[in-house]
Amino acid sequence: MSRSEAKAMQPFTMLRISLGIVYFLFGFLKLFPDLSPAEMLAGETLSRVSGQLLSSRDALRVLGAAECAIGVSFLLGIRPKVVFAIFLGHMAGTILPLFVLPELMFKVAPFAPTMHGQYVIKNLIIAAAGWAVLSSMGNATGRMQPSTT
Amino acid sequence: MVDLSDKTTKAITIGAVALTVVGLGYGIKKAYDRDKVSETSQVVGDATAARPANGALTSPNLEGLELYPTITKGLRTPFDLWRYYGRGVSSFGSPELPMKFEQWVEFHRKQKPELMEDVREYMASRYDFHETPMEGYFMTGGKPIMAGPVARLPGDFESFEKLAECPPDKIRSDDLFPYKPLAHPLQSTAHMLFPRSWIAVHPEHERLDVDMDIPEAYLPEFPPPMFLTTHKELGDISGGREITFDNYYDIFDGLLTPEQMEGLKELLRPTPTTWFNQTSHRITLEPSDGVACFDCHVNGHTNGAVELGPDSRPNMARLRTDTPTMRGNYNLMQLSSKRSIRSMDHFAEVEEYFDGDPGMQQALGPRGAQRQITNRMADFNAILDYPPAPKLSPMMTLYSDKASEAELRGEELFHGKAKCATCHYGPAFVDDYMHDLQVERFYVGRPEGPIKTFPLRGIKDSPPYLHDGRAPTLHDAVEFFNLVLELHLTRSEKDDLVAYLMAL
Repeated sequence: MSRSEAKAMQPFTMLRISLGIVYFLFGFLKLFPDLSPAEMLAGETLSRVSGQLLSSRDALRVLGAAECAIGVSFLLGIRPKVVFAIFLGHMAGTILPLFVLPELMFKVAPFAPTMHGQYVIKNLIIAAAGWAVLSSMGNATGRMQPSTT
Repeated sequence: MVDLSDKTTKAITIGAVALTVVGLGYGIKKAYDRDKVSETSQVVGDATAARPANGALTSPNLEGLELYPTITKGLRTPFDLWRYYGRGVSSFGSPELPMKFEQWVEFHRKQKPELMEDVREYMASRYDFHETPMEGYFMTGGKPIMAGPVARLPGDFESFEKLAECPPDKIRSDDLFPYKPLAHPLQSTAHMLFPRSWIAVHPEHERLDVDMDIPEAYLPEFPPPMFLTTHKELGDISGGREITFDNYYDIFDGLLTPEQMEGLKELLRPTPTTWFNQTSHRITLEPSDGVACFDCHVNGHTNGAVELGPDSRPNMARLRTDTPTMRGNYNLMQLSSKRSIRSMDHFAEVEEYFDGDPGMQQALGPRGAQRQITNRMADFNAILDYPPAPKLSPMMTLYSDKASEAELRGEELFHGKAKCATCHYGPAFVDDYMHDLQVERFYVGRPEGPIKTFPLRGIKDSPPYLHDGRAPTLHDAVEFFNLVLELHLTRSEKDDLVAYLMAL
């Protein structure tokens, strides 16, 4: 890798590590009861989406474990295609509360979100960042590399 | 500049990531350990911790329990709340909704149909409400009494007698107990849940969030008859009517003392409650005048409305309680299932309108509960009599020439093998103690602790049974005690016992 290529990759590396840390941190928090501020929102949404098959606590365990896995994958820079698929699924899941619990998300729908709503809508930035990192760094080997385009 | 090989770079990356992950994980675990011993944490012990080897009983026993889910008002709660534990965010309630009222209505408009479908499915999984009446048995006012037991037998058991052969440990470990507690179907708001028969006449109590979960056939008759200790010659003084604020004066003027009249008036006067009131913190579409004592204790009896006992926090730890009858309260030295309240005027002061939360009363009230008034409410309460029991002698034994063979055999069992008379004796068939039946021996769940013995006089008029109504019929109540007290009664003995209870 040339020096200029390495320099060009630095922002993506920083972004990838940031995403990894945030994912792992927020995911690991969900594994401990009463520690994650997203507990009610995430647990209730998944419980409803699963048709009450998953209890709120079980839903949080599954979600937390998935987020930890995505976080570690980001940090290690491995399996970009697999991570990308899980990441997309997760991102789609994060906007579900807007549809499942709109009364908690909006003061006046759809342009005046509550604090919870803002928390969810801000995931758009994470989605875009993750997409940028993963799509520009993936290659056929599955190991993350800087994009040549 | 040092040029590192790919292998070294990879090793450094993995090392750095491992350090980050372990560091974050360790930090979060430490944060959890610090938080869970603080007064702001829901966690009040370690559910995975075993009891100390020395057998000490002072440490928490949370084996198999889950922490209550974090929710807000209106959100669905697990139907098996007995499996949960934990501390609430605060002891103090708030008169605020988590959203605007219009959104609250919309939220429940969407949630209620799904919730009620799940409630019906859940109740059907626990009970077979076949609505078969017992031939020849009626409540005092004539409503048919349902045959039981209707609780579903677990697994492959063909009879309750076979189930009763299992020791408590096996019933618990194999999850075989058919009489686990009943939670309020929406415990995050909870509050008074009226039966359909009441709602049909009082649509102002139709809730937008949840409906009653027990079929009408398994609830007391509406309106029930009313009997007065002071006018036994008049029989049912209600004449088949619901006593209301509009008609009480005509019915009772000239029969009651002025103090009793005032007490009755106050028992009939609606006052705001936590969720039935004039503010937006409500579960009715329109603002509500509130609830009167006699809205649940119709005609001084009960319509089977459900509420939560106000005696514990968090709200999800509160036990579901059926409305007990007020008949014969003059004989009781303790009132309320859990609170050991020692007088009726005390009860009238602290009852459940504001869920045991004076702050909510201040925000949503007021409720004029001055001592002088509550004393008079108690004055009227004190003349509400039991229904007639023509087969019972003054010594509360059956007249042998009036009772059937089955009833007489039941009486013998009641005082003997079935051990009922250990707690149920005297003129009201009650001992006025709270007993801990240790029902958690039979299922994995939070212990409910001591519960007050309920009087059995006139018991056929008050289904469903036990404080939370988990036993829809008297047959179920007998099956419950047969299991919990390990009585090993035969099928015919249980039938005799039920026949006897019908005569009380």
